[in-house]
Amino acid sequence: MSEKYIGKDILKVDVQDKVTGKALYPDDIYFKDMLYLKIKRATYPHAYLRKLDLSKAEKLPGVVRIISAADIPQVKNFGLMIKDQPVLVGIGQKMRYMGDALAIVIAESKEVASKAVKLIEVEVEKLEVISDPLRAMDKNAPLIHQDGNILATHYLEKGDIKMGFAEADLIVEKEYRTSFLDHVPLQVEAGVGIYDKKSGVITLWVATQWLHDTQADIAQSLGLSKEKIRIIQPVIGGAFGKKEDISVHIHLALAAIETKRPVKLIYSREESMIAQSKRHPFIIRAKTGATKEGYLTAWQAFVIGDTGAYASSGPAVVHKGMYHCTGPYNVANVKGVAYTVYTNNTYAGAMRGFGTTQMAFAYESQMDILAHQLGINPAQFRLQNAYEIGSSTPNGQILTHSVGVKETIKEALNMAGWKGEAQ
Amino acid sequence: MTKLKIELMVNRKKRKIEITPSTRLIDLLRDDLQLTGTKEGCGKGECGACTVIMNGELVASCLVLAPQADGAVITTIEGLGSSDHLDPIQEAFIESGAVQCGFCTPGMILAARRLLEENPHPDEEEIKRGISGNLCRCTGYQKIIEAIKLSIARLSKSDSGKAK
Ligand code: FES
Ligand code: FES
Repeated sequence: MSEKYIGKDILKVDVQDKVTGKALYPDDIYFKDMLYLKIKRATYPHAYLRKLDLSKAEKLPGVVRIISAADIPQVKNFGLMIKDQPVLVGIGQKMRYMGDALAIVIAESKEVASKAVKLIEVEVEKLEVISDPLRAMDKNAPLIHQDGNILATHYLEKGDIKMGFAEADLIVEKEYRTSFLDHVPLQVEAGVGIYDKKSGVITLWVATQWLHDTQADIAQSLGLSKEKIRIIQPVIGGAFGKKEDISVHIHLALAAIETKRPVKLIYSREESMIAQSKRHPFIIRAKTGATKEGYLTAWQAFVIGDTGAYASSGPAVVHKGMYHCTGPYNVANVKGVAYTVYTNNTYAGAMRGFGTTQMAFAYESQMDILAHQLGINPAQFRLQNAYEIGSSTPNGQILTHSVGVKETIKEALNMAGWKGEAQ
Repeated sequence: MTKLKIELMVNRKKRKIEITPSTRLIDLLRDDLQLTGTKEGCGKGECGACTVIMNGELVASCLVLAPQADGAVITTIEGLGSSDHLDPIQEAFIESGAVQCGFCTPGMILAARRLLEENPHPDEEEIKRGISGNLCRCTGYQKIIEAIKLSIARLSKSDSGKAK
């Protein structure tokens, strides 16, 4: 097998279909008699829904049905790690960000569905909008979810941090902030659903990065057994973590059951930006100590990850980020704390690097500042602190194989022809 | 809603079709003619996934109203080559590994086609400019540029970059 494939050019199985336009992405699947969905979304980032008037929208010719929370009392919340996301926000319940769904409009065409959504009238009772995680952590801040705005706290401890700073000749302490980022896969969220009355099986042609978790989550939300949910993964137009979370899936299933006709839902790009996951913005306070010879002695990290209105993979992303607080550099004494915090921003979830990219901004900046203040070539400073076989990470993992950081730094210097700044 | 009758040539075939005035060219191609190789990535003229060749020019089909295409000659990805007879550019994209998720690929290949029709021997800068209206979120562009360079060699051997 290895001789046959490794080191050889192997054609992607679907590449011919992709270059000829034949590959079918979710949006490319059509059925006769198909209906189109459009979602009415929150009108305020933090508010109680007081009134939802569907009457004008329902009268629009071509509207088949509008589903609101009142129609689906049996349907439960969903979510990757914590079931904190409502399928539809009901009267008296809270909308927590602009992407929360209030109603599913089902119509004969995309045009009618879009028009009908605009005719839905919403009244809300506004609450304080929390867009800053530091405000969310205040003792007197209003609660976005019942159990508090700090969703998860994780700690990290290695060696003796006090001793580590005592050994240092130089200590640099800085705060870093990173911003929201959308993955922008070239294809937005889209899918098609069909309900088979006889078998009770819902078939969904929709992208997911967690086929079986998505199936289980849809099933528990709808109160059906997993066998009743069949997901067919069409060709996917990029994902990068953004398609780990449920998007069109449950709304499609509900509309298919309700109408017994094929249904399609495609987000607009704006909707994808507003409603679907983002990279977590981090606030990172890093305190790093080094000897005058340029060896790291201590690293303390304080991390806040803004997970927005819902957990998604937040707790995992934020604490994994903290575990990488020292980057690929040896530090004997490390201490960290990481908070995953709810706000009324668009929820944040998985994205390439899963928390580590944000940390890289902080630790590489710290390394540059330290090198500069110590008067050491920053490449040399990195090389003499970099991991090698036998190094241990902040959470105590001993690296036993495949540690290429030193070679990578050397090769990068070589390719860049960089001779150092202060020589 | 009032319907308009329009007539156009799509991939060398004459098509007569009834549409509403607000139908976009991309909807006409995808929903009415089932030519789903033309993709929608933004609906705003930003991404180029919906690129087609209309009257010899590259257009974002999400920004063209279908009535504007009355009488037009249009080439979509389906008009370029088929699985058993690939266009040299399609072959080059496959061989260079320029295709990942593939969602940008139809638009990218048509942009390359248009570029090579106008300028059969573009240098790297001209290639970059030629595909500057097309976003790819997967590949990082390098392999797409390599694919276009490979196409240049192939086309100058075969048909000197003539349009089909
Ligand atoms: S869909 Fe037309 S440019 Fe993006
Ligand atoms: S291959 Fe995915 S967007 Fe280009």
